[in-house]
Amino acid sequence: MSDFFQRLLDDPTSFHNAVYSDGFKLTREQIDQLQLQGVRKRFSEMRPLIPMLDKLAKEQGVDSIDTLEDVVPILFPHTVYKSYPLSYLEKSRFEKLTRWLNGLTTVDLSGVDASGVQLIDEWLDLLDRETPLLVSHTSGTTGKLSFIPRTKEQWRQTVVHSGCMLRHWWGENSGPDMFTEHRPLIIPGYRRGGSATQRANDYMIELFAGSEDNALFMYPNARFSADVVSLAGRLRAAEARGEQGMLEISPALLKRRDELMELEKTRGQDLQNFFDTARTKFGGKDVYIAGVWTLLYDWAEAGLAEGHSDIFGAGSVLFSGGGKKGKALPDDYRETIKGFLGFETAYEMYAISEQMGYSIMCEEGHYHIPPVIVPFLLDPATGEPLPRRDGTTGRMALLDLMPQTYWAGLITGDEVTWGGFDQPCGCGRTGTYVHDGIRRYSEKEGGDDRIVCAGAPEAHDQALAFLTELSQ
Amino acid sequence: MDKKYQVPLIIRGKVITDADLDFGGRRGGVAFTSPDVGKYLNELTLSAPSKMADLYSVSLDEILDLLAELGNRLNFDTNPYLQDAFELSCFTSGLSESILRYQYENMGFFFDRDEMAMMVERSCGFDYLEGWVEQPGGMPGLTARTRAFGSRAVHVIAGNAPIVSILTVIRNAYTRSDGIIKTPSNDPLTAAALARTLIDMAPDHPVTRHLSVAYWKGGDDQIESQIYDPRRIEKIIAWGGFDSIKHITKYLQPGIDLITQDPKLSGTIIGKEAFADEATTRHVAKRLALDIGAANQEGCVSARVIYVQSGTDDEGLERANRLGELTFEALQHIPEHISTPHKSFDMGLKAEIDGIRLMDEEYRIFGGRTNEGAVIVSQEDTPVDFSRMLACRVGNIVPIDDLQTAVRSVNAYTQTIGIFPEHLKEELRDQLAFQGAQRLVSLGGAATMQHNMEKQDAIEPVRRMVKWVTDEVGDPATLASLAG
Repeated sequence: MSDFFQRLLDDPTSFHNAVYSDGFKLTREQIDQLQLQGVRKRFSEMRPLIPMLDKLAKEQGVDSIDTLEDVVPILFPHTVYKSYPLSYLEKSRFEKLTRWLNGLTTVDLSGVDASGVQLIDEWLDLLDRETPLLVSHTSGTTGKLSFIPRTKEQWRQTVVHSGCMLRHWWGENSGPDMFTEHRPLIIPGYRRGGSATQRANDYMIELFAGSEDNALFMYPNARFSADVVSLAGRLRAAEARGEQGMLEISPALLKRRDELMELEKTRGQDLQNFFDTARTKFGGKDVYIAGVWTLLYDWAEAGLAEGHSDIFGAGSVLFSGGGKKGKALPDDYRETIKGFLGFETAYEMYAISEQMGYSIMCEEGHYHIPPVIVPFLLDPATGEPLPRRDGTTGRMALLDLMPQTYWAGLITGDEVTWGGFDQPCGCGRTGTYVHDGIRRYSEKEGGDDRIVCAGAPEAHDQALAFLTELSQ
Repeated sequence: MDKKYQVPLIIRGKVITDADLDFGGRRGGVAFTSPDVGKYLNELTLSAPSKMADLYSVSLDEILDLLAELGNRLNFDTNPYLQDAFELSCFTSGLSESILRYQYENMGFFFDRDEMAMMVERSCGFDYLEGWVEQPGGMPGLTARTRAFGSRAVHVIAGNAPIVSILTVIRNAYTRSDGIIKTPSNDPLTAAALARTLIDMAPDHPVTRHLSVAYWKGGDDQIESQIYDPRRIEKIIAWGGFDSIKHITKYLQPGIDLITQDPKLSGTIIGKEAFADEATTRHVAKRLALDIGAANQEGCVSARVIYVQSGTDDEGLERANRLGELTFEALQHIPEHISTPHKSFDMGLKAEIDGIRLMDEEYRIFGGRTNEGAVIVSQEDTPVDFSRMLACRVGNIVPIDDLQTAVRSVNAYTQTIGIFPEHLKEELRDQLAFQGAQRLVSLGGAATMQHNMEKQDAIEPVRRMVKWVTDEVGDPATLASLAG
């Protein structure tokens, strides 16, 4: 244990391949000590190399970290990783987008020549080829994607970390050891693409499945294209700017709109293949399934409608999370999904895509924040830190100490209630946890019939409506 | 905030105050109770259109007299209904107390008899509302007369300012309509306060007998499927955006006329003359601050994106930045009955501003630290990507070289455009109209001047609220000859 603790003190990233459950046996004093030391280490390492962090620290007058709360002023708003102007994309100024990203990472991108790049996918491919980065993007339905500059090495660590979590969450060696005993990998999503879920695919196939043919994807050939997922939102944003907006939209992007229709044509067949192969090739086996609840529910609903259930072996495991994403799932959606899949073991996470670590739900229904992620609760109105006391509700902010090439300290838009300061969780794990029932502040604001006269309605482009589905 | 407000159901002069149902409010977490509208559906709608006849037993002059008298009774100091509505609005509205107080204290202003008479004249015409009006021209042997009749209507109103309730009550009365006002959760009491004042004053007057005010949760199918029926109503006047309209559209069928008052956004175009000298720039900044800040930017008339013909070279950007700085300064000095720091600054917007704050090559930001408002100056000729979220006194100045960039950015969702200098308005107004603009005003007047409220920013809802009926008279000999 003391070795483990010392390693965390020396390098918080060492947690990625540690015995996960050891992370929840540390004392509060140890957690506080390693977090303060880790924050100091990351800040002093990164500040000279990340211009945006330096700028924020200067503006906020933060030069040293004496207490954890000193970090609060230099947490990034979650919008930072999408703070580039959309006009960079519309006017194909990817060299400026590269410069912008260079401001957010310790990796030197000054040698990358992105002139001539027309589409986001091309830009991501260029960075894949020429830099240590494997930039991932979010799936923002607003049309504006966040870009997160994580390295290939740290993507591998991220996947190793999830394997260690699965193996040790309920105690050392309580779960499957997929590193040595490979098992089928089932993903109801895309094989290729730049969003966080696809960035992990290569590593999951290598480390968990062992080979490509031991993995099954809902869309094995199609790419989850950054241009495609952002298309609907970008067109809407352009339309909202009248003729001027449409004049400025990239012709290359408009061409993409037609290609989409092709993608839509093969979608039904892809789905059917996925269902059939899951049953015939992997049915009855112990598998590993990773996917957000909404996609799993769509799959379960379609499968149950065809009369299928109990598809996989009872020793299978599921790694999921992501909430309802604004979809109207029934209250018993988890049970429906488990009944269809045929097993009970599910790891449910709370995470944000900028981070390598995540919080897993325990038997008590609490998400446990690992010791290498420093949590903060902020007053939603003032941004001031709230007391580290059980039962406090506020705006979640998190600083993940594992990423080494970008500042993973972000203020989320999530309202949470935390605990684990005054009393440890009933499950026995130490450290901070957050209660289930996390919601976005934006959801809380909407939903009832408050009517105002200000706003800009959008024309609803039915042809593109399915993109919203795709980008879940 | 433990007080639970009681929202009454008002049906044609009858006030029902049962607390059948609980509703949660917004922002301050205000809660209120209301009677179950479902129990009163048959009373709420007017069963037979013939029951409109009593509205025609009084003259339009009498109706205007009644409204003027209602205005006299809207004395904030003595009217408990208004005090209640004000108190509740302080929790639910995006307007600060000082602005709301001013608006509730000055409600009577809108009931000025002379102004109402001119409003009648400008919208439908006094003669058309009062009788049959001879129509010129037409086929030989045919003459015609036209009259505007009231209709049975549901008004799904917005709640961002009390003026919406005021206008609805006035329009319903002078068009001799039978109105059911469906109030929103962000202002469930103001319309009820007007109706209750009217009931206390003239309980049996036909205008009182044709005004109902109800709160139900928008989208409640059990209630709406009963009410939105062509046998019960003829018109729906609906404020608000896609979400508030979409559940109404499923009840539409021949016989129901939907008049939408879409949400809109407004903007500004400022010509190069603003930079003639420092004094002019300061003057323009003050007027611009008023268009951004008035009513805390809660209105559709409020300026958000501001196109400025400063030029986009270094000197041009300097001019735009100077205007931004002065505008932010001026924003901080608007009297508090017109504008204050926003009491509930949008967190999503704040995150966007914080996100671009580090992008100083692309944006210059004045303010925006807490809730004081902000002026963001783009350093290129494009607005911020979150321009549709601009609110809580945040404006975005966009420098341009060519005014056509501004003109082409106007679309069907644009409502008001504040323009400086005056001659630019005349030069651009036809082009702006082609693009979709509805109301062009002198810079500074977007929210502070309201010339023709009845036109509702050129939507002309009053002309559409009434039923236009024609009486055509054929010459008997001509008709006989047609029969052969």
